[in-house]
Amino acid sequence: MNKKLFVLFLLILSLVITACGKEDDTSNQGSSGEFDGEITVWHSFTQGPRMEFMQSAADAFMEEHPKVKIKIETFAWPEFYTKWTTGIQSGQVPDVSTALPNHVVELIDVDALVPLNDVIDNIGRDRFYEAPLQEGTIDSDNFSIPLYSHAQVMWYRKDLLEEAGLEVPKTWEELFETAKALNNPPNLYGLSVPMGSGDMMATRFLNFYVRSAGETLLTEDGKANLTSKSAIDGINYWVKMYNETSPEGSVNYTVLDQANLYYQGKSAFDFNSGFQIGGVETNSPQLVDQIDAAPMPKINESDPDNGIETSNIPVVVWKNSKHPEIAKAFVESLYEKEEYIEFLHSVPAGMLPALKDIAEDPMFLDEPTIQKFDNAVKIISEAVDKGTAIGMENGPSLQSGIITSQSVIEKMFQDIVLNSVPVEEAAEKAEKELNDLFDMLSR
Amino acid sequence: MVGRNKLSTALTYVYLTILAIVSVFPLIWIALSSIKSSGEMANYPLSFFPKEVTFEYYTRVLNDLSFTVNIKNSLLVSFSATVITIVVSSLGAYGIVRFFPKAGKKMTKVLITTYMFPPILLAVPYSIIIVSIGLVNTWTGLVITYLSFSIPYAIWMLIGFFQTVPIEIEEAAKVDGAGKMRTFLQVALPVVAPGMVATAIYTFINTWNEFLFALLLINSSEKMPISVALYSLTGSEILDWGEMMAASMIVILPSIIFFMIIQNKIAGGLSDGSVK
Amino acid sequence: MEKKLRNFNITGMLFILPAILIVILLLIYPIFSSIYFSLTTKNLIRPFYDFVWFENFKFVLTNPDFYKAFVNSIKWTFFSIVGQLFVGFSAALALNRIPRFTGIYRTLLIIPWAFPAIVIAFSWKYILNDVYGFLPNLLTQLGITSSNINFLANPDLVFIVVVLINIWFGAPLFMVNILSALKTIPSEQYEAAQMDGASPLQVFWHITIRHVRVVIGLLLVLRTIWIFNNFDILYLITGGGPSDNTTTLPIFAYKVGWGMKQLGVASAITVILLLFLLGICFLYFKLLDKWERDDR
Repeated sequence: MNKKLFVLFLLILSLVITACGKEDDTSNQGSSGEFDGEITVWHSFTQGPRMEFMQSAADAFMEEHPKVKIKIETFAWPEFYTKWTTGIQSGQVPDVSTALPNHVVELIDVDALVPLNDVIDNIGRDRFYEAPLQEGTIDSDNFSIPLYSHAQVMWYRKDLLEEAGLEVPKTWEELFETAKALNNPPNLYGLSVPMGSGDMMATRFLNFYVRSAGETLLTEDGKANLTSKSAIDGINYWVKMYNETSPEGSVNYTVLDQANLYYQGKSAFDFNSGFQIGGVETNSPQLVDQIDAAPMPKINESDPDNGIETSNIPVVVWKNSKHPEIAKAFVESLYEKEEYIEFLHSVPAGMLPALKDIAEDPMFLDEPTIQKFDNAVKIISEAVDKGTAIGMENGPSLQSGIITSQSVIEKMFQDIVLNSVPVEEAAEKAEKELNDLFDMLSR
Repeated sequence: MVGRNKLSTALTYVYLTILAIVSVFPLIWIALSSIKSSGEMANYPLSFFPKEVTFEYYTRVLNDLSFTVNIKNSLLVSFSATVITIVVSSLGAYGIVRFFPKAGKKMTKVLITTYMFPPILLAVPYSIIIVSIGLVNTWTGLVITYLSFSIPYAIWMLIGFFQTVPIEIEEAAKVDGAGKMRTFLQVALPVVAPGMVATAIYTFINTWNEFLFALLLINSSEKMPISVALYSLTGSEILDWGEMMAASMIVILPSIIFFMIIQNKIAGGLSDGSVK
Repeated sequence: MEKKLRNFNITGMLFILPAILIVILLLIYPIFSSIYFSLTTKNLIRPFYDFVWFENFKFVLTNPDFYKAFVNSIKWTFFSIVGQLFVGFSAALALNRIPRFTGIYRTLLIIPWAFPAIVIAFSWKYILNDVYGFLPNLLTQLGITSSNINFLANPDLVFIVVVLINIWFGAPLFMVNILSALKTIPSEQYEAAQMDGASPLQVFWHITIRHVRVVIGLLLVLRTIWIFNNFDILYLITGGGPSDNTTTLPIFAYKVGWGMKQLGVASAITVILLLFLLGICFLYFKLLDKWERDDR
């Protein structure tokens, strides 16, 4: 019996292996005149008006092209990542999707995307900001098109500062003093310092400091930089802040925990983009009038404005697509002025335009939240201009994906605050660990 | 012994009461939190009963997040997986007990070893299998993967139940001229019916709770089972404990009710004979 | 072997064939494919890979993180198992001796078992949250702690807390199974022992334990495997943190396989894990066989 089973097993094994080895021929060009076919769109707008917008954009496209069917799927970012990494094995990927800049780099690396130069030219190449476009560009092929942008700025509570007679801090030292003065746990924390290994918040915070000193976490030749003077200063700074003004549990906080604390009115300061407004509005409507944004603190007030962290969320078209021409046409349709502005307005002040002309368009600016937070929008727009994704200051790199996904920096912070590892030692260890991981990329 | 009994019985009740409180507390806390306003959840972490009761989260979860669709999907998937599991496992368990009693002992060990592989690492081979037979993004594909963990356990439980069937009554049926299949269906099955119900419900709950394979194998949201929908809440842009608690309640209530129904039967497989 | 084959009962084969096919297809194949991948540079998303023999095993076995995860796994499994057994056994004994309300207590005690991993994570993370959570606020209110402690962030506490949660979840399974084994002990045996003047401890050891030990042994086998391989409870509650304090082997394998996309290395980790579990189960079964022989 054993023998038979083994033969059966081998048979199945070989069947499966041949089945996987086969590459589908996907060059199924549609006829030149009319679009005909079904495409799948994955996006990560899991809630509210943005989600509805994507559906209505698809509906409008299908109405215009009656033979086209668009299937929309919504996944939160972590699910999204799990799904495409597993799906790429089996060909289970969408035709069009949103992506994060790091995903784009990885996807280009495994040759999963098609260049979208023609789509960009159709929309108008010079209408785009240059930097976001570069994040998905390899050898003049544009593999991604920025859909919207946002940037990290400092959020504070006007009422709390006023009550205490304090100014909006402009330097890191001032921020520390102010946060410490306001700190009154457990009802109010000055500023929470998130270090959870579930995502990259501590990397983000360290990057704020390092960038403000004019340095980067990744050197030009793609090595980790955690041991330069400003990196060590930055680590020390956040450790100090954690000890003085942050809830103890923030050592485990991820992005949602961190934001939630501010949304609930339990922290005086936070860093976020314009998405902060919607969060506060939903959780604590009474606080909306009390929040505002300010530029990122610097080391000295007189330092130049270095760009900090900008997130440009792009759309991509997948190589696996049977109907790339439909996919591209759908992507292009998202940028038609009225629809595009409607899309941006679905998270007012949160999503800023990727097109220069729209940013100044009265139709875009004429929105209650954008007007109410005009100061914040101005500050975020200025920050968007100068910043890049973490680790992409010198152009797209796979290393930036490692630095933000492997929680090495988060664990370094945890080691320091929980296990009292000396800062220099922890930084050296983390730097080495990151560089080892970078080496694995070429395996 | 009788004299000391009062005190020790009282202490036993105290011990059980403490255990019961710890066991039930999370459920009660979920239930209470799911009907509190968000301000109350954040600002009065110690207040037990809600100051004002709101069912807003439930309506949001069921309507806006379309949990009703997910519930329907889960019912369908779990029900199919359970039926197939029970049919295949009853046949298998009966076959082992009646026809290969010696091999049966080894078989139980093999069945146990099948659990030695972490499910997370089965994900890639499974997605390859499911794709190669063209069943990706289908409920059929998901049901097939569910069989991988439900069948070994179900066989294992059912072996125990079938061993309680006295061989004499089957022999009596044989004398009456019943075939093997008929003996199985008309004599053995009725005896183990309660055990089968328990196994079925246990399988149902396990498949109802499963989330990893569902996440990886189902791509369209209208086909997602409820556990994935629940997980998705953690990835949403705004963390809403109220919604999470209401959704948890919806997922967990059927399991708890089922468990209460089967609790008498569930242990049968282990103690009634599989080991003897 | 040929002779044996011919002796096989055809009808009997038909009964068990579907089950055998499914078990082979769904379990043996993935295991073999993982063994194969463990010898290659298989990447999660890249299409091509090379055969490298035992390179991945060398990489894993020289990696200090692997040993840390291994130790965590053993700690996690051992303390969870011992705790579950202790709570489950004591609860079963308690339920077996109380005269009334047995049904109600058993029903309440079984509830944790019905929790899916994701709800275990949601509920306990919420209860233990250091800002909004019930328990930290309660402890502070009662003056036991001066400020809200965070159970899941504190490296000295986090491991104990997740193990306690696992005991909370797993004890009912022990309880239910041991209870039904206790019910099968004939009461004459106790009476006979009493007449012989045996001490309660002797009665417990020679009658109670002896009757339930095989059930307990089987439960231990099952749960050891299950807890050792458990991914979702720990991953959803702590994600392996803080500072890798709760990173067990399956979480480590996941991080390597999905985070680093090194599926080959991740497969090597699971193969090692499989060998280890096989060894443990072999020992368990030796013991069980001995007990079963003794029982006859």
